[in-house]
Amino acid sequence: MTTTEPSAGIVSSGEYLTFTLGAEEYGIDILKVQEIRGYENPTRIAGSPPFIKGVINLRGVIVPIVDLRIKFKLGDPVYDQFTVVIILNIGRRVVGVVVDSVSDVIQLSSDSLRPAPEFGSSLDTRYILGLGTLDDRMIIAVDIEQLMSGQEMALVEAAAS
Amino acid sequence: MSIDMSQFYQVFFEEASEHLANMETMLLNLDVGAPSLEDLNAIFRAAHSIKGGSGTFGFTDMTQVTHVLETLLDRLRKEELKLRPEMVDAFLAAGDVLRTQLEHHQGGPEADPEEIRAVCARLDELGVDRPEAAQAEPATPPGQPRHLRLSCVLPADLALDASVVGNLLDALAEVAAVKVLHRPDAADPALDLTLTTLRSDGELRDSLAFFVAAESVSLSAHAPEEQAWGLFEDAAEPAQAAADPGFGLFDETPAPATDPGFGLFEDDAPAPPPAQGFKREDEDQDGGYGLFEDAPGRRENLPHRDVAPGEAPAAIEGPGYGLFVQAPNGSGLFEGAPGAERMKAEAPAPEKSPGRRISDQPGVETAKAGRRDNDKTLTATSTDTSIRVSVEKVDQLINLVGELVITQAMIADAAGYLDPAQAEKLLSGIDLLSRNTRDLQESVMSIRMLPMSMVFSRFPRVVRDLAGKLGKQVEMKTVGENTELDKGLIEKITDPLTHLVRNSLDHGIETPEKRVAAGKNPKGTITLKASHQGGNVVIEVIDDGGGLNRERILAKAREKGMNVSDAMSDGEVWLLIMAPGFSTAEQITDVSGRGVGMDVVKKNIEGIGGRVELESITGHGTRIVIRLPLTLAILDGMSVGVGGETFIVPLTAIVESLQPGQEAVKTMAGDSRVIHIRGEYLPVISLAEVFGQGQAGDLTQGIVMVVEAEEGKAALHVDELLGQHQVVIKSLEANYRKVPGISGATIMGDGCVALILDVAAVTRLGLRPGRTQ
Repeated sequence: MTTTEPSAGIVSSGEYLTFTLGAEEYGIDILKVQEIRGYENPTRIAGSPPFIKGVINLRGVIVPIVDLRIKFKLGDPVYDQFTVVIILNIGRRVVGVVVDSVSDVIQLSSDSLRPAPEFGSSLDTRYILGLGTLDDRMIIAVDIEQLMSGQEMALVEAAAS
Repeated sequence: MSIDMSQFYQVFFEEASEHLANMETMLLNLDVGAPSLEDLNAIFRAAHSIKGGSGTFGFTDMTQVTHVLETLLDRLRKEELKLRPEMVDAFLAAGDVLRTQLEHHQGGPEADPEEIRAVCARLDELGVDRPEAAQAEPATPPGQPRHLRLSCVLPADLALDASVVGNLLDALAEVAAVKVLHRPDAADPALDLTLTTLRSDGELRDSLAFFVAAESVSLSAHAPEEQAWGLFEDAAEPAQAAADPGFGLFDETPAPATDPGFGLFEDDAPAPPPAQGFKREDEDQDGGYGLFEDAPGRRENLPHRDVAPGEAPAAIEGPGYGLFVQAPNGSGLFEGAPGAERMKAEAPAPEKSPGRRISDQPGVETAKAGRRDNDKTLTATSTDTSIRVSVEKVDQLINLVGELVITQAMIADAAGYLDPAQAEKLLSGIDLLSRNTRDLQESVMSIRMLPMSMVFSRFPRVVRDLAGKLGKQVEMKTVGENTELDKGLIEKITDPLTHLVRNSLDHGIETPEKRVAAGKNPKGTITLKASHQGGNVVIEVIDDGGGLNRERILAKAREKGMNVSDAMSDGEVWLLIMAPGFSTAEQITDVSGRGVGMDVVKKNIEGIGGRVELESITGHGTRIVIRLPLTLAILDGMSVGVGGETFIVPLTAIVESLQPGQEAVKTMAGDSRVIHIRGEYLPVISLAEVFGQGQAGDLTQGIVMVVEAEEGKAALHVDELLGQHQVVIKSLEANYRKVPGISGATIMGDGCVALILDVAAVTRLGLRPGRTQ
């Protein structure tokens, strides 16, 4: 088994928002995306892992910010006016992820997704829906909901210890 | 298309529980000796509304109970019955049953059917049994007595049965003075009588309807041959004679047959629903039998056994009983009959005036409808002044206003850089905006505020029940019920407060004998007091009982292996009772004394940001003071800067802030620093260290904030104090998770997030040997 079923809930629309982390291109289900905004300095939280940048005030809601570049050790975690935060709606939670840039919205049918080979990368293949091809580019389709609620993200209470 | 009623259930549940609570409060406040008509009316309306609602939604079990309740209340408010203390008890019990039923419909456990039955029976009984009121019965109805001659032909089989004739005569005797001219015998089955009565022919026929066919009765005007007095003397005889065969009959009568009639007749409710009638029978079976044996006078009920329950027995019964008691000679007539007095006592309330009686007969429906209309107009005024809104909507509103306040602060902040001369209009506009925003925020916050009476109102009942159980005399006083507190806090304070009150009652207030021996009023007093003090709401539970016993507490503490000394101050000793597992009650009662009391109370109150203080004078009483923040959503805090970050320290935890001199800072075991403040050595906790910003700086360069937490006092070292704010508490856990040392987050005026310190947790973190680096 190299692919996982898409998370429960809304069936994947087949439309993916693609973003880049370093030289790689990732795709996440567009229905999980609430908005895209510029990076603002979050309030640091003591004792949290380095990829959790802290929390921001998103119109009165306290939202944690995860820097995927640090998490996956991709690209330089520089923060400037071009740094982008994708605000995700995962389950009942709102989480922001920092990426290098947002590129496109593309259509990927589940048939066109190829299973990712299994090897020890920082991104567990459990969270990869598959590898898609667009022109010559490889899009890594990520099950963002699984990823964000996973243990290593330390975003949810179960991961607290 | 039918409407799905279930969508309205919630409204009914809320309303019904409100009505129940109201009813209880009013019942407890009711002056039993001289109840005000207004109160009785209000109680009646509450019961009636519950009945109406439960009927509409098909909760028939509740309808039944409220119906019985309402019937009795209705008679009370019409002053047909006198209020007695046991009635109040019964009403309260009925309220409890209704509450259980209500909870059952909301998914709670089912109400005990036995209990329901018992309560209904009790209410019914109270409605029937009215010794005083019987005497107070006013004069004869207006109108002239008429003299009639009545003859009827009885069916042959009945005519020879002396008891049937006796019953018939008795039935008539209730409505008229009777003189028998001819008793039916084998030769002539006709019955010939003269009657002196105030009743209409129809009523007389009704009285006979159970015995003979209406068409076989002939009534005609008849000139009185004798004085009424003579008539009565004569009449006593047949009644007496009839009593004897009655006895014989009762012994033979199969029990079930007698019961329906009985149930119906005791129940004075106009046309009671059959279900209710049956319920009563079960209860009454025993009493009923006893009655039959010694009260032949009640035998008139017997013939009614073949009446269908729905046949409006009240119509016959009403006038019958009425005259029986009303007629000045009524008791004389029955004097010879054993149990005559008893009958009188058992007779349901006679109606006050004939007019009322008439409305009660065929017009039961109209009378009720009229009453209902009346209710509507009365309740309409009170419902129009409030609306029911879900808490979520209010919270959403509060959130939005919180946003507005932040936005306004940001605008004000930005406008601060403008040249006041050029932007004069803009700046005055911003001033106005900030004023309006503050007002708006206050008004919106006040929506969530509820008066303390919401909590206090339940205590008279608790105290009343408990005092009765413990054999103590206690008076409950409440002061400042109108003090408002956030709804969330109100809900959370109820349990700890209940515990404190129960404690005061159980351990504080002494038994009346002890109190008298101590030269006190045998009646103890528990006072609940709420007031505003600064930004806090202060709730006090004061009793004038025995106070805390220093020696016993110390002895107990030693027994528990606590570290105590005789040199401890009273205040310190009192605090011991809030230590976990501490209970000095000599025996564990079901009221309190399981040793989980005070420490749980303390923890709960601290959990909602409050504090508990305790004062006691042995022999004179105890005062427990609870200080609470006004609301859960807003916190008074001091913002402090630590390594360029801003934290909020709850103001309630701060004792003082100071800049220590070099001489005050000492070290202990090398690196642990303590600070010497006002004779105390306090451990120093560097926030920078706790929150992983590297090494703690020089103490004399920063500010030391003395805080008090569960573990005791500690000194928090921060870089600077930024200011005091009222901050809106936001949850970190909603989208993230719990962070050690942090209780929540808030949004500052510049739109940034600031974390709120959990002082107790920070103290723990800071004092732990392996601290987070």
